[in-house]
Order: sequence, then structure tokens, then C-alpha cells
Amino acid sequence: MSNGETGNKTAMRIALMAVLTAVVVVFTLLVRVPTPIKGYISLCDVVIVFSAYLFGPWVAAIAGGLGTGIADVIGGYAQWAPLSFLIHGLQGLLIAIIARSPVKGNVAADSPLIRLVIAGVVGMIVMAGGYYLAGGFLYGFEAALVEIPLNLMQSGVGVVLGIIVSRSVLKAYPPVRSLAL
Amino acid sequence: MTSGTFIAGRGMLYLFDARAKLLTVLALCVMVFLPLRPLGLWVLVAATVLGAWHATGLRQALQPLRAILFLLVIMILFTPLTYRDGSAVLRVGSFVLATREALENLNVLVARFMGITYLCTLFIWTTPMADINLAFRWYGLSYKAALVFTLAFRFIPSIAESFVMIQDSHALRTSEQQESSRGTVHLTDIVPTVTSALVVALKSIPYLAMSLEHRGLGRREKRTSYRRLVARGGLFTHFLLSVMIPTVFFLVFNTI
Repeated sequence: MSNGETGNKTAMRIALMAVLTAVVVVFTLLVRVPTPIKGYISLCDVVIVFSAYLFGPWVAAIAGGLGTGIADVIGGYAQWAPLSFLIHGLQGLLIAIIARSPVKGNVAADSPLIRLVIAGVVGMIVMAGGYYLAGGFLYGFEAALVEIPLNLMQSGVGVVLGIIVSRSVLKAYPPVRSLAL
Repeated sequence: MTSGTFIAGRGMLYLFDARAKLLTVLALCVMVFLPLRPLGLWVLVAATVLGAWHATGLRQALQPLRAILFLLVIMILFTPLTYRDGSAVLRVGSFVLATREALENLNVLVARFMGITYLCTLFIWTTPMADINLAFRWYGLSYKAALVFTLAFRFIPSIAESFVMIQDSHALRTSEQQESSRGTVHLTDIVPTVTSALVVALKSIPYLAMSLEHRGLGRREKRTSYRRLVARGGLFTHFLLSVMIPTVFFLVFNTI
């Protein structure tokens, strides 16, 4: 029945976006990896890259953008929420589009490693560049320069771990392929 | 892990309709980028800090300042170094540390950043998330987008709890290895923990989709709405205020 098939995809898509958004929020706020310079980086980029490699551009864009926006609101950085929504949303969207597999039925994580890396690097540039521009408008371009290395480190770790985790999840939980819409 | 952002308090800010409040915050955030005298920006900062103090108490009101303190320090250190032309105010030998123009620019940047921070934070503190969602719906956000937003908030605590349990169980399994190279163990702990947490989250998706379908998602019948935003004194009055506040502010403090 066509109405049932449409309803099925809608419910699955909404459930997928909602759960992955919540995972991005948790990974942004709870999961912190200490860095050598006494700071922390969050693993939100791991989930954004993971979503892009497994579930496509729109899921990655919504989960990444909405998740980081909500995390900023909960974490007390509400002024960053709309900017994080745009930056991480664009990051997820572009990574998924570039990494998309040309083989029908495959997810992006099945693509050659070089393609995944290129997509990840583009995501890194978008993320670091986006926050530099946003920070520049908010508090000055000179001060915003200081955050570029940290953002590149966070997004770089996100890409590396995203590739590893995507392939791990595909092995550990093969039914995930049926969730990819 | 709590995902609540609303802080119960008192004052006019809590009575202001969420839709009009959102418009006011947006208008004021745009206004701070228009040509305004620095005094006007600092008046806005003072007004928002006082509003936060009245609504939630001094300790809570200072919390956004603590959150952005690091960035303020970076701004104070780095911004003057890039505006070296002009009349020198601070000099070490022949090296100009700060010029008058640099300090004026810094003044505007700091006031602007603090103003935006407090405006956004006050909006979140004084408006329940359900009202924010309804306000977005009123402005045109689709039902499905609002549903994703609501469901995400519902799932945050349970996913956080699952993650903590998974992290603890992995820590118990690898506790003997933690004596050696801490950095390596830290990194190698991440992949199994993150993979397990993601698998647990992914397993909940089909059940959530099924429960959404059982509740009628995707059917053609019109949905019923059980809660609406109500503006005390009329929505028009609230919107009039939301337009008047930034307009009067701009007219008083503009430099044009």
C-alpha cells in the first residue's frame, strides 16, 4: 500500500534523525578527550562523520546541525547554537555528498578509503573555517584565529575515528544497512 | 544528565510571549552590529545582566560571564596587537602595544559579544523548551521537524545513561592495562566504547519508528493540537513591544 510505504519511511527517517541528534548531543557534552595542551575536544564530529558515512546527507546535516545546536544551548553557549547548526549541518551534508558510494545499495562507508578521507578533509575545512568566520563576526577575527588549531584537531580526530567506528559498526551490527535510507 | 535549560524565576521576562521574545532577541542581536555608540552597547549589556540577576539571582547571572571569560581574555590580548596604526596609548620602548583606535574597537567587540551572549542565554533561561518549540512551529517550522526536535530531547537522558554504563563496563574490563601508557589506553578505549554506544542507540531506532507509526504518524487524518501559546494581554501587544524595544534603543544610541 503506497500510503503505508510512505508512512514507514517517514517514521523511520524521523526516528533516525531524532536518535542520532540525541547521540550528537551526548557525545558533545559527555564525551571529552583530554588534549596535550590541557584542553578537551569533544567527539561530536565522530558521530557527524559516522552519520554521513552510513545514513546520507540529510540525516547527517540534521543530526549534526541540530545536535550541536542543542548541545550549545544545554551547555550554556546559546549564542553559538544557530552558528553550530549551520556549520556542523553543512559539514555533515558535504561529507556525505562527497563520500557517497557510486554502487547502488552500498553505503558511503563502503567507498574507497581515499574518498572517505577527502570527504573528511573537506568537512574539517568547513568546520574550522566556519567557526573562524563565525568567531570573527562575534568577537573579532584576530581572537578567532586562536581556535583554528583546536577545531582542526577536533574535526581531524572526528574523521579518523568516524572512519574506524563506521566500519566497526557495520561489522558489529550488520542490520544497520537496513536503516540507511 | 539533565537536558533542562529553563530556570524558574520571576519577572516580566517570564510573562513575555515566546514568539515575541524570539523576535526581540533576533532583532537585538542584529541591532548590535549596526552603527551604535559603545555606551548603547554597554547599556544593553547592563540591562541584560540586571534582567538575569532579577530573574535568576546573581550567582546564576554571572554564569555566562564565566563561560566566555577565556574568550574575553583572548580578545583583550590579541585584538589590540592587530590595530597598530593610530595614536599610541600603551607602549613598551618603541613597540606600540595598544592604540586608541584598537582599544575603541576592542570596547565595541567585547560589549557586542557579551550582549549577544546574555540575550541568547536569557531567552533560553526564561522560556521553557516546549514553548520555544511551539514558537518555532508558529513561525512555520514543519510538524516533522518539531517532532525530531522533541524526540531528540526525550532521548538525550537515556542515551547518556547508556553511554555512561558502557563506558564503566569497558573501564572495568581494561583496568589492568591502565597502569601503562595512559594516552594509548585512553585512545584505544574510545573505539570499542563509542562503537558499543552507537550500536545500542541504533537498536532503538526501529522501536521508535514502530511506536511513531502506532501513534498515527503518516496517516492522512488531521492532527489535534493540545497546547497553544497564550500571550497575556494579547499577542499584538507583545509584538508591539518586541518591535519597539530595539527600535527605541537604536534611535537613542545610533551614531548615524
